[in-house]
Amino acid sequence: MTSVTDDIIIRAVARIMIPFIQLYALYVIMHGHHSPGGGFQGGVILGASFILYLLTHGLEEAKIRMSEIKAGLFSSFGVLIYSGIGLLCLILGSNYLDYGKLSTILKVVPAQARSLGILGVEIGVGIAVMAVMFSIFFDISTGGELPEDEE
Amino acid sequence: MDSFFLYLGMGLFTLVFLCLYRSVFGPGVLNRIAAISAIGTKTLVILLLMGFIYNRVEMFIDISMVYALLNFIGTITAAKYLEMKGEV
Repeated sequence: MTSVTDDIIIRAVARIMIPFIQLYALYVIMHGHHSPGGGFQGGVILGASFILYLLTHGLEEAKIRMSEIKAGLFSSFGVLIYSGIGLLCLILGSNYLDYGKLSTILKVVPAQARSLGILGVEIGVGIAVMAVMFSIFFDISTGGELPEDEE
Repeated sequence: MDSFFLYLGMGLFTLVFLCLYRSVFGPGVLNRIAAISAIGTKTLVILLLMGFIYNRVEMFIDISMVYALLNFIGTITAAKYLEMKGEV
C-alpha cells in the first residue's frame, strides 16, 4: 500500500480531486446542523482525502504533508477543542456542553451562542476523526513499524 | 412523475442483483472490482431518485456525493492492491 505508483492518470486525478474533496469535507462539517453530516462525517471525508493522497503519492511524499506525529497531535487537538468548549460551559456555571452560557463571553444572544458552540464542537470532532482515520490507515499500511525510526 | 422515478429505481434495484452475482461468482478479481464499482454507481442514482420522490433532493445530493467519493477511493485501493500482488 505504500509504494509509489508511476501511473500519471491516477496521480493527476488525485491531484485534481483532493482539493475538492477537502472543500466538500469542510462544507459537511460547517453545514452539519442544517443537512445530513456533521463533525464525524466531515472528518471521515477529510481523512479520506489524505488516505487518497497516501495511496497515490506514496508514503514518503505523504509524510511531508501529514506525518504520524502530526496526526497524533491533531487528534489530541481536536479532543482538546471539544472538551475545552464543554469545560468552558462548565466554568461559566452551566452544564457540560450547554452552550447557552457562552453568550456571556461571545456577546451574542443565547440562540446564536448555541449555534456557534455546536459549530466549534463539530470542528473539534472533525479534526480528531480526520487525524485518527489517517493514523489508523498509516499504521495498517506500514505494518506498525515506521521506516524512519532510528533505534 | 413520482411513479416513473419509483419504477426506474426498482429497475436499477434488480440490476444491482445482477452485478452482485458477478461480484460473488465472477471469474477473477477484475470482474469483481468492476461489479462493485457498478453497484456503487447504481446506488448513487437510486439515492438521487429517492431524493426526487421525497422532494428533498438537496439533502440526498450530499449523501450521494459522499457515496461516489468513497466508491472512487475504494476502487483505487482495490486496484492498488492488485498492482502490489502483481497478478491479474
